[in-house]
Formats: sequence, C-alpha cells, structure tokens
Amino acid sequence: MDARSWPNDPGLLLLISLAGGPKHGHAMLLDVQRFAGVRLGPGTLYGALSRLEELGEVEAMPAEGRRRPYRLTDAGRRTLAGRLEGLRRAVDVGLERVAT
Amino acid sequence: MIRLLLRLYPAAWRRRYGDELAQLLAATGLSPATAWDVARGALRERGRAVRRHLQGEGTMVLGPAWRHPTAWALAALVVLAPTMGVVFVSIVAYQLGATALQPPMDAMLGVVDRWRVLDLALVAAPALALLAAAAPLLRVELRDRDGTRELALGVRLRALNLLIAVLALGVGVLLAGHILVESVLQLGP
Repeated sequence: MDARSWPNDPGLLLLISLAGGPKHGHAMLLDVQRFAGVRLGPGTLYGALSRLEELGEVEAMPAEGRRRPYRLTDAGRRTLAGRLEGLRRAVDVGLERVAT
Repeated sequence: MIRLLLRLYPAAWRRRYGDELAQLLAATGLSPATAWDVARGALRERGRAVRRHLQGEGTMVLGPAWRHPTAWALAALVVLAPTMGVVFVSIVAYQLGATALQPPMDAMLGVVDRWRVLDLALVAAPALALLAAAAPLLRVELRDRDGTRELALGVRLRALNLLIAVLALGVGVLLAGHILVESVLQLGP
C-alpha cells in the first residue's frame, strides 16, 4: 500500500492498530508498517501514545518486563469510529467525484 | 547514546515512558534518522510541558543545569580551555618576550586566520563558558499556591562554578581588550 494514501496522523494509525488488540510499542510499529506501509519513528510513536493516554483513548496494561502493552479504551474506540466515519465520507465523495 | 537521547525529554515524561522507549530503541536499532525522530519527539514534549505549565498545571522549573553543577562547570572549562591556552601563551610569547614561543604561536594564529570558524569559536568560547558555569547557580520556579501562580527565584553560590565563571570573564575581557587594541592599531594614526 502506498504510504501517501494515509492521513499523516500517527495517533489515528495507533488507534487502528490497537483496535486489533493490545500491543506494546514495537508490535505497534510493525503492525502500522504492515497495514499502512508507514514507518513510524520511536519518538513519534511514544509522542502519539502519550497524547492518546492523556486523552483517555488508550490505557497502559501491566508491564511485561521493560515492555508495556497498551489497549484501546471505550472512549478510544468511539473516537476511532467517528474519525474513520469522517474519512469514509471524504473517501466516498472523492470517489464519486473522480468517477464523474 | 540512547540514555543521552532520553535525557532530552522532560523528567516526568521520561519517568513514565523512558524505559519503554529505551527498550524500543534497543529493539529497532539507533540510526541517525531514528535519533533525529527521538530528538524531535523530545522537543515536542518539552513544548507541551511548557504550554501545560503556562496554562497553570503543576510546577514549572527552569533550571536544567541546577542538578548537575559540577558537570556544567567542567563542560565550561573544556569549552574555555582552547581560548584560555591561546590567550595565556600569547601573553607569555608577545608581552613577556618568550621568543621561543613566537614561531609556533605565529603558525597557530595563521591557521586561525585562515579558518574563520575557528576564530569565531575561540572568540565565542568565553561567553559560552560563562553561561555554562553560571547556569547551575540560577533556578526559576513557577508554582501553584492556593490557585495563584507564584514565581520563586533560587540563587546559590558554588565555588567551582564561580571560579570558572570568573576565569571565563577574565579571559573574555583580555581577549576583548586584545581585539580592541588590534583594531585601533590597524586603523593607524
């Protein structure tokens, strides 16, 4: 997949990644790269993750050694659904206009 | 290197996410692009921390050098050392007439004349060293007290930092005097 087709928003990519189940930092990086073709830097990932945690959209789970998994909260799931819905509307309009 | 990069983050952020980020960096490897990404992330977190404090959340402490006064004093000395050496040897060679020192000094000053960046570094060093040595002596704290913001200024005296600050000031004054005299001589009568 062409990385340019994704919005430049690491927070959204992390929410999508965590919607598939709890993950720690490295697993999120690999997952985002797999489904979006976007290679997030570790600083970008933890910056976005700390903001999402502050907003209550993700939460930390008990640490596994030095790694700590994160999961999506109900609020995060609602935010993600709203944002994807917004994107879908934009995509639908774009596809309709391209086709005419 | 990873520890050094983590030091760029605000302490509170580092306490919460530092171990995890270090673990991730160890797993992914540290390329120049990754280091740049982490440094930018740290800068963003510093910006967020300052914005939060300015909005009245928590206590903001401005005094990054406060906790490591000796390290800052030694760093100041390292920055100052080349300029101090040049000024000292110049005085001995040209003012006190140690002719044996003049040829190597002439050669060295020739190099400095050709490389403007060296010249600038030597001239700027006393000011930088003064700042580095004096920085740990000051601390500004913006804190919440019963709903009102309060500014507290902390000043302390440390012999090593003061000594190096005075040394930097002395070298700076000597250098400025030398530059002034040279400029006047070049203008001529």
